[in-house]
Amino acid sequence: MALMKKKNRPGGEIPTSSMADIAFLLLVFFLVTTVFDEERGLSIVLPEADNEVEVSPKNILFLMVQPDGLVNIQRGENPQIQAGVRASEISAIWRQELSNNANLIAAVKTAPNAPYRFMIDVLDQLQTAGADKISLQILE
Amino acid sequence: MMSKGGLKRKSKAASEIPSSSLADMAFLLLIFFMVTTTFRKEEDRQVVFPEAEATEKLEEARKDVLHVFVEADGAIYINDVRYTTEQVSNVIAPMYAENTGMVVMLRSDRDVSYVQIDQILKELQAAGAVRVSFYTNLEQRMSRERR
Repeated sequence: MALMKKKNRPGGEIPTSSMADIAFLLLVFFLVTTVFDEERGLSIVLPEADNEVEVSPKNILFLMVQPDGLVNIQRGENPQIQAGVRASEISAIWRQELSNNANLIAAVKTAPNAPYRFMIDVLDQLQTAGADKISLQILE
Repeated sequence: MMSKGGLKRKSKAASEIPSSSLADMAFLLLIFFMVTTTFRKEEDRQVVFPEAEATEKLEEARKDVLHVFVEADGAIYINDVRYTTEQVSNVIAPMYAENTGMVVMLRSDRDVSYVQIDQILKELQAAGAVRVSFYTNLEQRMSRERR
């Protein structure tokens, strides 16, 4: 009698031992196929609409982005313009200028017909160099 | 004979790791990930983003980020609706009033002329949404040197 009981038992139950394997397989599948859409970019805080701050021109480094991607640099009140600087050189220039004047503000003036990516190249260089006071303007 | 069998059965039960709850745990994890996954509401646009080395991950929660798409031809889309440049501040102002912690993610094509971006930035300023992020793809140092 006892023998009969033992034999009957395995057949009467639904096999659940593989359930965990199935569930983990599903879990691993979803983990692997999920692509997280990260929010990433270059962040900047714009000045508020009626809150324009007067800045002494000698504390401004003007970076004029030309339609061809080259940058003309004007240092504060100095009328001399360093023309045709490549965007990749800007972080070094910024570091050097900042060591002379800790209150320096970068004013990125982009030509209206210049592609957006040239402004991003300059902004990238400034942020790589650790600049936090950046003003975005249009070149008139 | 009987006592021997009893002993055998007892030791067998103790030597097995209880795995009956394993499936429950796995399903719980599965359900957790399924519930917490959020899918993008907007459809994909044909936009090629600029690259930048200083690209940083935004710390804001997904619900605090508003995407403004600017396509190569200058078309502006907010939540899958096309707007003109002049409409942007009127569209964004009520959204900003609802959530002042909002960050505008400007997803603009790399070849859009800057005058368009400047106008959008002025519209955002007018709407009070001053926290802006320019969406960029991470640029590797290697590709920069090759260029």
